[in-house]
Amino acid sequence: MSMKVRALAGVLVLGILTTACATVKPWQRGMLADSCMVFDADSATAYMTHWQEAREGSMGGFGVQGGGCGCK
Amino acid sequence: MATSALLLAAAGYNWAQNQLDVSFHAFQDSRGVTVLSPDANFTKDFTDRTSVKLKFGVDAISAASDSCARCHSDGATNGRFVGSANITRKYGDSKVTAGAEFSRELFYQATTVLASVSRDLNNANTTVAGGFAFSLNQPQLHPGPTVESQQSYDAYGSVTQSWTKRTVTQVGYEINQVNGYQTNPFLRTTLNGVMTVGNSPDARTRHALSARLRQALPAETFFEADYRRYHDTWSVDSNAFSLGLSHHFGPRIVGGGSWRHYAQTGAYFYQPEYTGSPTYFTGDFRLFPFDSNSVTGRFEITPKAGLLMMPAGSTLALQYERYRATTGFEAGIFTGGVRIPLK
Repeated sequence: MSMKVRALAGVLVLGILTTACATVKPWQRGMLADSCMVFDADSATAYMTHWQEAREGSMGGFGVQGGGCGCK
Repeated sequence: MATSALLLAAAGYNWAQNQLDVSFHAFQDSRGVTVLSPDANFTKDFTDRTSVKLKFGVDAISAASDSCARCHSDGATNGRFVGSANITRKYGDSKVTAGAEFSRELFYQATTVLASVSRDLNNANTTVAGGFAFSLNQPQLHPGPTVESQQSYDAYGSVTQSWTKRTVTQVGYEINQVNGYQTNPFLRTTLNGVMTVGNSPDARTRHALSARLRQALPAETFFEADYRRYHDTWSVDSNAFSLGLSHHFGPRIVGGGSWRHYAQTGAYFYQPEYTGSPTYFTGDFRLFPFDSNSVTGRFEITPKAGLLMMPAGSTLALQYERYRATTGFEAGIFTGGVRIPLK
């Protein structure tokens, strides 16, 4: 196993162990539900992502992808 | 051909509310391309466990870009429509989504099916999600009648974590394999002094790793930071990061701004011009090395009595983005939209 793979596995294990320590109670989640705190893409953000990918050579990282368009 | 359109963020997926979201997007760039794009998203809960989301959008494109103006001296117009349907069903702490998307325009057609699943763990402080999509893309080699095909396989996984009542993060990884015709038939480069349509490899594997942070600050202010590292087998490497702030100006007004920086290397077969008999060559600007910066401003208002004839709770959102790349490309993008809650 290469050093890179070991390092990645270590980070993943550490991350999983650390996440179990977080205990935000349901009644403390009001701030987390604010629209400024969610990761879901609204229409404006989705459009921005769409045209950026029409101009740039890279894509993805935030969700599964569809077929796009050929107008670029 | 580009192969991406965000269909569904598979993680951090809040349960649906009955809602109609109508937006109008206007894009104009320094090449003389104008795109007007109205779209509508409709979300409805059919039962307490089943939700359906429908989308319909249109792009009206008037293009006077170099590639079009070569044959159409007065520019050219194009139209594209896209429709999608997703159904999500809850099973305890898990959600399963299945969907499809179809888009068609002059000289291009794309058909996509997708599935995703997410599960809440650790008292809903951790959400693990994954998804898969397959697309069949069919470009036509305009001005000829030949239709090529391209298959895109896409898989995505993410972990969303609430650390405190003010901090949430998400890390994601996506891999995309594209097989088939991937040359852009409209973009030409100089080969032995003659403008020629390029020739790209017919396989490409793309990797993207993302990390995102949302942090609530004092005084109803919110900080966001996103980073993405990208690499593919054509040797295109990129880093993209963005920083933003939003603020609640009272209970009904939200304003904010963000800045994004993007930098990429060129594909291994990219050259400004070609001589001899290269196997691969390209005039596709997306395979050139460049940097870009963009700034975005955003404003939302939710009047207490509703918007015009719309019910209380309806929100008007306005957004403007300015984009500038080191290639000389510049664009301005305006979006106006309303979100209407439905019973």
